Amino acid sequence: MKTPPINTSLGIFPKSWSEESAGRIPGNIPIWVGILSELTEFALFFVAYFIAKFYYPDIFSQGPQHLHTSLGVANTVVLLTSSYFMAKAMSFIRINNRIKCERYLWLAFSCGCIYLIIKTWEFHWNTLQGFSANTNEFFTVYYYMTFNHFIHVGWASCAILWVIFRLRRGAYSAQDSSGLEALAVYWHMIDLMWILIFPLVYVLR
Amino acid sequence: MKAINSIKGTGKLEWFLAALIAITLLNTFLGEQFASTTLVCILIAMTVTYKGLIVIDHFMELKGANKNLRFLMKCYFVIFPSLIIVSAFY
Repeated sequence: MKTPPINTSLGIFPKSWSEESAGRIPGNIPIWVGILSELTEFALFFVAYFIAKFYYPDIFSQGPQHLHTSLGVANTVVLLTSSYFMAKAMSFIRINNRIKCERYLWLAFSCGCIYLIIKTWEFHWNTLQGFSANTNEFFTVYYYMTFNHFIHVGWASCAILWVIFRLRRGAYSAQDSSGLEALAVYWHMIDLMWILIFPLVYVLR
Repeated sequence: MKAINSIKGTGKLEWFLAALIAITLLNTFLGEQFASTTLVCILIAMTVTYKGLIVIDHFMELKGANKNLRFLMKCYFVIFPSLIIVSAFY
């Protein structure tokens, strides 16, 4: 009796979305289901931001002036750099250089930790200034967005540790790096969300 | 061979990272030094789109990959920066 081929498409996408028709899917289908779900979640936050800004333009104009902009800039640079490290890790696994791949994964993990430390310090600084999620509509949206993003960076950093563990066990190679690539595209998605959050809460007045 | 060439050509990645950081600093400068006029909002929205497209195409490596995923991701970075421009008219 023949074993049926494993269905990697999960059967939830139209055929035109298949790799044969539309091109290679970086990582795997499940991670993209997760990424598209996360993008939808953040889209709701962004829509909430624009609706709230429409109703409270003065509060949203003054809000960013109360934030520690330098910490926001520092976190943006840290996350962009982490994305660069992740891209480098991917390029090294493609030539089976596990040592350099692991090195860049550790660098990306370090960036994740630095981001979490800076963000924690920023939340603490806000508290010292007397700001909280209840201060006004701007701070409610600010905390919803940034704390949600904080959690994403936290668990994605844990995922990097898991991938490093698997890499050391020889799970990834030039021929099979889909698990590592799935983490990479997820990490880049988190970076992308920050690219949108940063101007909304720190820059636009 | 292609992978080895891509490592040798990673100067590109470094340039993209430098561009992304420079744009971030420019955005911050615009936000700090100028009131959010319509022009400033348009500039910031355009730079956000540009940053997003760089990450999507070159870090996420969607350029040359699945065209539908790339299209969806690009749409995201057109729609929300467009809303930044719309919000300038509030």
